[in-house]
Amino acid sequence: MDIGITEQGGLNVVAISGEVDLSTSPKVRDALLGSISSGKGVIVDLSGVAYIDSSGVASLVEAFQTAKSKALGFALAQVSDTPMRVLKLARLDQVFVIYDTLDDAVAAMA
Amino acid sequence: MNNQLELLVEMGRHFAATQDIEVTMGRALERIAELMEAEGGALFVLEQSDAEQHLVCHASFGPVDIKGLTVPADKGIVGRSVTTNRSEMVRDAQNDPNFDTSMDAQSGFTTRSILCAPLSVKDERIGAIEVVNKTGGDGLFADDDLTLLEALAASAALAISNARMAGELAEKEVMRRELELAAEIQRGLLPPPGGVDSDGSDFPICGVNRPARVVSGDFFDFFTMYDGRIAFTLADVSGKGMNAALLMAKTASLFRCLGKEDLRPGRLLQRINAEVCETSMRGMFVTMIAGLYDPASGRVVLANAGHEPPLLHSTDDQFKTFQATAPPVGIPPELTGGGAVPEEVLHLNGGSLYIFTDGATEGYVAPGEELGADGFMDMIRVGLSDGLSAQARIDAVANRLSGSGEALRDDITVLVIDDAKPLQKRQSRDDNATLIEINKGQGEGSILNDGAVQSHEGSLCALTVPARAGSLKLVRRAVGETSAACGFSQEQCQDLMLAVDEACQNVVRHAYAGVDEGDMMIDIRREGGSYVVLIRDHAPPVDVARIVPRNLDDVRPGGLGVHFIREVMDSVEHLSPPDGQGNLLRMKKAI
Repeated sequence: MDIGITEQGGLNVVAISGEVDLSTSPKVRDALLGSISSGKGVIVDLSGVAYIDSSGVASLVEAFQTAKSKALGFALAQVSDTPMRVLKLARLDQVFVIYDTLDDAVAAMA
Repeated sequence: MNNQLELLVEMGRHFAATQDIEVTMGRALERIAELMEAEGGALFVLEQSDAEQHLVCHASFGPVDIKGLTVPADKGIVGRSVTTNRSEMVRDAQNDPNFDTSMDAQSGFTTRSILCAPLSVKDERIGAIEVVNKTGGDGLFADDDLTLLEALAASAALAISNARMAGELAEKEVMRRELELAAEIQRGLLPPPGGVDSDGSDFPICGVNRPARVVSGDFFDFFTMYDGRIAFTLADVSGKGMNAALLMAKTASLFRCLGKEDLRPGRLLQRINAEVCETSMRGMFVTMIAGLYDPASGRVVLANAGHEPPLLHSTDDQFKTFQATAPPVGIPPELTGGGAVPEEVLHLNGGSLYIFTDGATEGYVAPGEELGADGFMDMIRVGLSDGLSAQARIDAVANRLSGSGEALRDDITVLVIDDAKPLQKRQSRDDNATLIEINKGQGEGSILNDGAVQSHEGSLCALTVPARAGSLKLVRRAVGETSAACGFSQEQCQDLMLAVDEACQNVVRHAYAGVDEGDMMIDIRREGGSYVVLIRDHAPPVDVARIVPRNLDDVRPGGLGVHFIREVMDSVEHLSPPDGQGNLLRMKKAI
């Protein structure tokens, strides 16, 4: 699993790729909470995620709630089929703000 | 004369019926003395103490009780009678050179005349019986008296000798019965016959054990695991006596006990060795084979600690042996670099695996002529061509070795795993025999199937992994490959991977509570049109009532795993493992 963090339009874009499971989700959690602590809104790019389990989803939920408490923007973008399936199973596809493309997300949140 | 005859008959009867020879001798002596009008009488028995023989008085009658008196075996009139094995009639005791005056000095009794007859049976000298001081007539014993005493002495000697023999016999009988009880307990340690499957075919594993003596140092055992695999063992304890039998009992119990913990055979032998080595072995050891056979695939995982190489007889009539991979059980692990026992994986493919002790190949079929490995293989071939069942084939070997007319040289034990019937079952169910490949897992402890598994009914893949987060990727891989082979859609495969991953996470995070010390066994099976996943751990039992999916309206991190599992699977059951240890989860999804 890899995590890349870039800045785009005053927002942190956290791109996650590979498999997010019990052994790798702590790194996802750290990266997301770290990005939020910088005081910028966060877009999570899930286009490269081949697998995500409940612990990965939990990291997303925790980051989402933390951002919300600090009145910062938090959105998911380019969610590939596999993570989307898991979000739907968890009925979280209705909770998260999800954009089809990064550009859409940046345009909406900037 | 009539009185005398009557006494003889009466004494004979009493001696024959007596439970307590001492009491009977005392009464007999009293009657004899009365009949002969003797003032006193005594019965001496020859006893060995240290290097010397003594005459000890076991019964006495008269004014002075000398019971318990001990004199040197060659002293006095009694000593002379015993030594020469002849009767003595002494009419003037005080002037007889052999008379031991010390006895009178001790007792205050004055001995005038003595009549003494030796007690002996054939060449065995038992002692002597004497009467002293005739009270009636001229105060002297007559020849008639001597004849009578000799007759009574013969009767008494026989009774004493019989009583002694009976005592020895009783002791031997007690020993024999104890041995037989031990043998009975031992036979109870052997598994009952595996019985007959629901379709009428014999259980695929059977064995035979013939002890050379009453008890045996060999044993075999097998039992079916929760997932249909059969654990088996055969072992030979060095030696043949009671010490070997006791060590056998210990090792057999360890196999039964630890075998149910679902360890792999190599690890199982390592554990048994560690336990056995904790107690003093006094130079004894156990050669032992442990294995797991899966009738659903014909696959055998074998670990061999110093035992005779097992023999695989394939369906094309080839024999192949598998050498021991580790030293015997009982050799301290520190002497052998940790005591690991490597495993070997073999596929029976309808053939039979014979595991036996050297008593089977080194037994005599004729005086001085061993059956030998070749003879053993010949008998297997003949048995097969005669259409004998596996049990009948190995019974034939044991019968031939027992029937040579000589005592067995060593215990004979043979175990056979016959894959013929299970293969037929596999083939009849094997509708779409696609082979799928599962790579050997990466990293420590990731023991996967050895290459290919068939997507027939039964186990598709079984793996044991350390219960830690790093193992989950491997588990998902196994689920992904097997579910795809069963024809699930890509999305369904992803769902199954997620569900099994979540179930394993619960084992890692909750059952073992994050402590990195246990294994988990994942067995993926295809059964009755369903994709079945069994997950087994040895953590403390989980309180099933506390496992609830979370309320999805409550958005918070965590607690989603159980929801995912229930969403994906058709059924989820928390079973209690057959041995009551750990947790067993069964999840099903229709194919």
